[in-house]
Amino acid sequence: MGLRMIQRIILFGFMLNISAWSQTTVNPDISLIGRFETFTNNVKDSPEYGKLNFGTPGFELLVEGYLNPYARARATLAYEEEFDPEELYAEVLRGLPLNLQIKAGKYLVGFGKLNTFHPHTWPFIARPLSHQIFFGQEGFNDIGLDLSYMLPIEEMYSSITLGIYRGEAIANTLVSDEIQLTETRGNVPIWIGRWSNFVSLSDYKSLEVGLSASSGVYARRPVNESGDSTLAGENKPLNYLYTGLDIKYKFVPDIYTAFTIQAEGLINYRDVPRSGDPGIHMPKEMVTSITTVGLFISTDYTFNRQFSIGAKYDYTYGIIGDTPSFTTLANDDQNTTQGLYAWIGYYPVEESLVLRLELEHLMFDYENGISRRPETTATLQLIFSLGPHKAHPF
Amino acid sequence: MKKKIILFLVILAAALDARLNVVTTTTVIYDIVRQVGGEHVSVDYICRGDQDPHFLEILPSYMLKIRKADLMFQNGLGLELWAQKLIDGSRNADLKLVDLSNNISKKGIPTGKIDASQGDIHPFGNPHYWLDPENIRIMATDIMHELSLQDPDNRSYFQSNYDRFIAAIEQKMKTWHAQTVGIKDKQFIVYHDTWIYFAERFGFKVAGYVEPKPGIPPTPSHNAELIRLISNNDIPMIIMENYYSDSSPNQISEATGIKIVKVPIYVYGLENVHTYIDLMDEIISRITAGE
Repeated sequence: MGLRMIQRIILFGFMLNISAWSQTTVNPDISLIGRFETFTNNVKDSPEYGKLNFGTPGFELLVEGYLNPYARARATLAYEEEFDPEELYAEVLRGLPLNLQIKAGKYLVGFGKLNTFHPHTWPFIARPLSHQIFFGQEGFNDIGLDLSYMLPIEEMYSSITLGIYRGEAIANTLVSDEIQLTETRGNVPIWIGRWSNFVSLSDYKSLEVGLSASSGVYARRPVNESGDSTLAGENKPLNYLYTGLDIKYKFVPDIYTAFTIQAEGLINYRDVPRSGDPGIHMPKEMVTSITTVGLFISTDYTFNRQFSIGAKYDYTYGIIGDTPSFTTLANDDQNTTQGLYAWIGYYPVEESLVLRLELEHLMFDYENGISRRPETTATLQLIFSLGPHKAHPF
Repeated sequence: MKKKIILFLVILAAALDARLNVVTTTTVIYDIVRQVGGEHVSVDYICRGDQDPHFLEILPSYMLKIRKADLMFQNGLGLELWAQKLIDGSRNADLKLVDLSNNISKKGIPTGKIDASQGDIHPFGNPHYWLDPENIRIMATDIMHELSLQDPDNRSYFQSNYDRFIAAIEQKMKTWHAQTVGIKDKQFIVYHDTWIYFAERFGFKVAGYVEPKPGIPPTPSHNAELIRLISNNDIPMIIMENYYSDSSPNQISEATGIKIVKVPIYVYGLENVHTYIDLMDEIISRITAGE
């Protein structure tokens, strides 16, 4: 952690203290979410094999509140081996024409349902494999703004959100040596749209269905279509298009019991540079399109209000590695990873303290016949929530 | 052509429906608004009568109810921590939120340092004030004034409904006091810290709680404490809201023989409870039958 970051944190804390001292009636809500994990696995080549490994504790410090009668703001400072300003945004909630809402800043974008929620609110521990491949390890988090419109339908809640973003999640990911994405993607925004529909099926059952799409340039690179190494390649944009479907069904018969099924699927269409026919000095390069997919389906059963058990199936193109990359792994249309998960959670008092035990079983399928043993990991996680940040929307 | 005329008439009817659009957080408030507002108010509620409003999930369907509301009445005192998120999600810039606890004489205001080690406490006072019928008069007065403010043309109509409703409550109060003579000064165990206003009005004492602290689920050690307490004292009954699990009360009852009385605490908390007067009738008849 750099000296400058320490100074910033001290300054941040000092400002909060001043705020608490001088404005006791208009303080923002301040919450701290702490997270600690210990795990072991059966991967013989890994240093963690058969040992009880302790992960670095992480936390999120959230400061949120109303700016005025029309707008709210939130800042989330996350720590996991390094500090990261995970979210910093303001949103105008009411008072705009057509009852539009505007959100601007850095935040988890509305592609699919799960991505918009912080992982501590999920019933399971591991980020879905397709999210790791297509969104990155921190989720689809970007800088930009969106406009949201609620459709004038009486029978169900239906909203359309359209946003434009810097493409931060794409630009921040690793660059593969193999495909030599040496050019920056440039100052070209990406866009994300989502159509979300929620309907109460009865007093106890509800269903939400969403459609999402995101498109833009994820990289640029010179493409030498001549096969003549003395000629420079033409700098070409590489485009991507994600389309997604998400479904969440929930049955809550009483205050102690809940049954949830949640599923999300994503189809990825994108341009990728590939080698073609032999050229004069080198293979001719070309840009071709690939289509890959990823999905997960999870079910969770909460009983006695304090316990939850669940299972999840994950499938994605790409091989899950230690450093998942939005750019490179999403280009893998040859290999796939499947995951099976089972968990049990214990919530002694609402969400103030959570204990979870999760088993992860990963299976790898390589197109070229590489044999890789399945990997099983057991993770025990403890989460605590200090402060008012508890209630979450459906 | 006929379809177009019908559509036009439907749209016209909707446009001419000048009734105040009101949303309430609980069904008790819903009933008071219905009694006072009558045909000049269109009213809906968020939390069902068989739900615990402390733990309501924030559903977009609730935001739909608030979207076109003119007024929203809430119980306040931290009972509806979800209300503001629903209002934000509704995008309704013209909504007026009225907190009915403003003129209530609050009980159970914690003193000293307040933190989560004390459970789900309410810093500004216990929110279950509707269980004292005298507080219904205060709530109804606030509602009547607010409806009259929003719709002054119907002020006398609201006043007349209010007078009729309060007269009915006053009439019932005599019956309820007569019915509860037998529970005066008796000690009961209650599940949650719900009964502070009711107990004071009708004169019973709360000897203990099934929850070790407000909102904290029962534990075996606390059950054992209650069993000792009940065994050493003349405590005839556990009163519990009908949406709570009776697992711990049953264990205590098996060990001590104490009766368990389950009651609704909101309108529509049972099929036969359609009004506030039905609710109090049901609570009092069940408690007095169980004593």
